[in-house]
Amino acid sequence: MRRVAVIGAGVTKFGKHDRTSAELFAAAAADAITDAGIAPSAVQALYFGNVTGGETERQLHMGPLAATLLGLPTVPTTRFENACATSHAAFRHAVMEIASGVSDVVLVGGAERVLNVPTESATEFFAYCSDASIEQPAGLTFPGVFALIARAHMDKYGTTEEQMAHVAVKNHRHGVLNPKAQFQKEISLETVLKSAYVADPLKLFDCCPFTDGGAALVLASEDVARRHRRPIWVLGTHAATDTMFVHEKRDLSRVTATERAAQGAYRQAGKTPTDVDVVELHDCFTIAEIVATEGLGFFEPGTGGLAAEKGWTSLGGKLPVNPSGGLKAKGHPIGATGAAQIAEIVTQLRGEAGPRQVGGARTGLTHTLGGNTATVLVSLFGRD
Amino acid sequence: MTERVIHLKSFFEEARAGRLTGIRCGRCGELAIPPKEYCATCQQRDWQRVPLGGAGTIVSYTVIRVAPRGRGGEVPYAVAVVRLDEGVSLLGRIVDIPFETLKAGLPVRFRPVQIETQTVIGFGPA
Repeated sequence: MRRVAVIGAGVTKFGKHDRTSAELFAAAAADAITDAGIAPSAVQALYFGNVTGGETERQLHMGPLAATLLGLPTVPTTRFENACATSHAAFRHAVMEIASGVSDVVLVGGAERVLNVPTESATEFFAYCSDASIEQPAGLTFPGVFALIARAHMDKYGTTEEQMAHVAVKNHRHGVLNPKAQFQKEISLETVLKSAYVADPLKLFDCCPFTDGGAALVLASEDVARRHRRPIWVLGTHAATDTMFVHEKRDLSRVTATERAAQGAYRQAGKTPTDVDVVELHDCFTIAEIVATEGLGFFEPGTGGLAAEKGWTSLGGKLPVNPSGGLKAKGHPIGATGAAQIAEIVTQLRGEAGPRQVGGARTGLTHTLGGNTATVLVSLFGRD
Repeated sequence: MTERVIHLKSFFEEARAGRLTGIRCGRCGELAIPPKEYCATCQQRDWQRVPLGGAGTIVSYTVIRVAPRGRGGEVPYAVAVVRLDEGVSLLGRIVDIPFETLKAGLPVRFRPVQIETQTVIGFGPA
């Protein structure tokens, strides 16, 4: 298999937009192509991610539309949908297209627009990513899924609501340093702890927001990337799936798909958790970050809450997690999130992250979780 | 046996009548809800239909206070993962149990809940 590099990245401002998903992606893609310094005509394929466009915009077949609005209407496109892990899944397939020798330059990313519909509609559409036979009729929501996980983690390890709140406070502190973030405002521990319950024990400030935004990456083969001034190498990328049914998870305090995806990515990259300098991981809810830091092998099971409380995952800590502000503060346009996380790691490994730069970062990891923990992708990146 | 002995439709028809039904792998004994083609444990396709007693204990629960569109009139409501006495788990709506008494290990019993035209898996007091 051929080596693959990320040579360009583009991300729109995250927040509320009056542009469509396809427009948001096209804007991010044009920025990524400019960043890569390639001619637009060099793009040989587009792997595009979007989740709720059929519901929020009455728009399917969005891949060709995105290519058309980008101004590359004849580029072959495929749309991906893997819930919140959508564009990370698209990324893995784009990597494989180049690694296999089919193409030399592939554009990949995604976009989402949900702030044009009421919150209760967005909550309904996101719940479509859980099972429609048992879970949706019972009224299970996404905060509900992670509340079940949080309760199990609290019961098993003694994790506290205050430890979860530390994740939110930290990611908001990081978000202040990211001009693309939806929220660039610090919050206090008290603000989190006094916010209203959405699904006990998760409160409003334990939850990431609904977000509009787009993100895109230009991937290239080694031959092309070597002519580029700053390639960031894909060291490993692995996908794992688990049962769709929450009741079939063997242990609700763990996300086994994260553990399997991480093991695969580390093995492919020839790296271990201690080699990682900077992480962008899927903090859709505060408990999700705690469980992910354990599943990725950074902290022992049951100590992710302590790591958040002690500041080990803060900028300046032993392993900075979500320097971008994470899904919590940067925002979570679900079709764009995986690509946006990779864009942040690319920026970090280039040493261009400004006030949120992790000093001397050489190896970065991204982790994206889809739906009710049924889909997880983990990728590792390195610089020359 | 190469065909499923129960489908989602009949699983819910049975549930609506108050009968909880699972499938048991004829090779390894694994119990499963809902029905599927292959046993996830041994990959065989040798299922037997098994009536379940409906008694179990709460594994984890949450009280949902922000509902999807059209469900706002139901909040707050509790949802739980319940481990049935036979050893298989199922997610359902908690009914007639005060929220403050909910905890892991609490005994509960299956009962069907009808929400408009939909049959929902529910669990009430044991």
